[in-house]
Amino acid sequence: MDTSIKDFEAAIAELETIVKKLEEGDLPLEQSLALYERGVQLSRFCHARLEEAERRIEILNERGELKTAPASLSDQHDR
Amino acid sequence: MSDLFDHLFEEDDEEVEIVDSRQSTVDSQSTVDGNLSTPLSTVDCELSTSRRILSVTDLTVRVRDLLEAELFEVWVEGELSNCRVWNTGHLYFTLKDSSSQLRGFMFRSALRYLKFKPTDGTRVVARGKISVYEPKGEYQLVCEHLEPQGLGALQLAFDQLKTRLQAEGLFDAARKRALPALPRKIGVVTSLDGAAIRDIIKVLRSRYANVHLVIRPARVQGEGAAIEIAQAMRQIGRVPAVDVVIVGRGGGSIEDLWAFNEEIVARAIARSPVPVISAVGHETDVTIASFVADVRAATPSAAAELVVSRKDEFGAQIDRLRDRLRASARARVQRLSRRVHVADSRPAFAGVPGRVAMRGRHAAELTHTLARLVRADVAIHDRRLQHLERQLATYDAGRRLAAIGTRLVAAEGRMRGAAARRHDRARAQFQRAAGRLETLSPLAVLGRGYAVAWTADKTRVLRDASAVEPGEMVNVRLARGELECEVRTRTLSTTEDTEGQT
Repeated sequence: MDTSIKDFEAAIAELETIVKKLEEGDLPLEQSLALYERGVQLSRFCHARLEEAERRIEILNERGELKTAPASLSDQHDR
Repeated sequence: MSDLFDHLFEEDDEEVEIVDSRQSTVDSQSTVDGNLSTPLSTVDCELSTSRRILSVTDLTVRVRDLLEAELFEVWVEGELSNCRVWNTGHLYFTLKDSSSQLRGFMFRSALRYLKFKPTDGTRVVARGKISVYEPKGEYQLVCEHLEPQGLGALQLAFDQLKTRLQAEGLFDAARKRALPALPRKIGVVTSLDGAAIRDIIKVLRSRYANVHLVIRPARVQGEGAAIEIAQAMRQIGRVPAVDVVIVGRGGGSIEDLWAFNEEIVARAIARSPVPVISAVGHETDVTIASFVADVRAATPSAAAELVVSRKDEFGAQIDRLRDRLRASARARVQRLSRRVHVADSRPAFAGVPGRVAMRGRHAAELTHTLARLVRADVAIHDRRLQHLERQLATYDAGRRLAAIGTRLVAAEGRMRGAAARRHDRARAQFQRAAGRLETLSPLAVLGRGYAVAWTADKTRVLRDASAVEPGEMVNVRLARGELECEVRTRTLSTTEDTEGQT
């Protein structure tokens, strides 16, 4: 993903700053445009991070190997 | 403890009746003869010297007084048998060892403080006083506290370890780490057979949360459990992308939870490279592990809730920011199109100077770009919505429809309804505006303090001072309003100087 975004928390903080600046108005059009673009990029990043996690259950065994959890564990509340 | 004593004495009368009421069922348990022999012999000696003849009642009262004075607090260990809770709520039991037995009972008021359920065959340590039930001439243990044998030792170990680790600073608030805003993977150390993992998965599923769990199974009770938990903690902390660990188990007796009071577990939690949430037993269970952990969740379910609700909060926060971002862009677009409308309403401005026209084109380009961005943004939202819909399709709709339906309706309302419709409108308005921006209003320039001078009949824009004679009237248009001016002097050397006054 975008390398100019450090992490999720930093992205939220930056997005907040941008929105505040834009809401204050008074900026030249070019600058608001750049900020808007950056803001969209940041919010996309955040949404992607929120949604990227897979719904997944793995088991770590004693040898440090990761295996997908048996269906019985993850499906037991489906019935 | 003294409270308990007072309480007991207050209830003494009631107790007599109760013992009375059980006589018929437990008569065979009577232990009068053998067990009273020792205190009686002492009494006997005193009596023989004084030659006083006592009534049975007097003697019994005397025995009672002697026993109660001498044995007002005793600790006795043995095996419980004939445990029975009477309908009054008091407990009756017999305490025995290989060669003797002792009748005992416990008031309901003391019983409710017990951390375990007394059952036949349990080896216990009892604390209480010896008293005498006079109508039957029986002595018995009035029990104030019962604990399974070995528990006293556990409690002591707990207190000592707690004091020691506290002194080392392992419980300090300054050591507590904040949970990651958005854990990539959540580590769980618990038993695969226990209630804890089921509860955690259940919460995550009911909240429809897409989280990635990595479970490191460990036995959570019995011999060797502490070592397994500690090993598991060490291992799971090293798994890439696991950035928070839940360690715990479901409820149980104090012995069942004991592994979480072991030093090796406490130290493994303290050394964890990522924040640890303890989730041991129920709300009231306190373990050393929970003191050391960065966050204590009351139960495994609560730990799962904690992780998911934080995620929901962030999702809502980002949605709000995104809405504000759009709103500010929309406001900007509207301001621009207002200017265009103003320009349109003044056809006389057709021949604006080149620089202004340049600015107009530039602004039009920027506005186009902005419109394109907003459009792309809306498209992304549409894709997100489709993604949600696809997700919905892959789940058991019948079971989850209620939960996801609410979310989807909200998402749809928010994304498609509010955002997309608004943006379609804004976009259309915007494209119209952008098209007309070729003839961008010079009012933007006037706004910064420039003025345009016209001939008095407003047919021509003045570009050269030679076009008017002193004494002639000219029309000056400002950002707001116009001025009728009379020319006093001209300076012909410069190209665009226009002087005037009202």
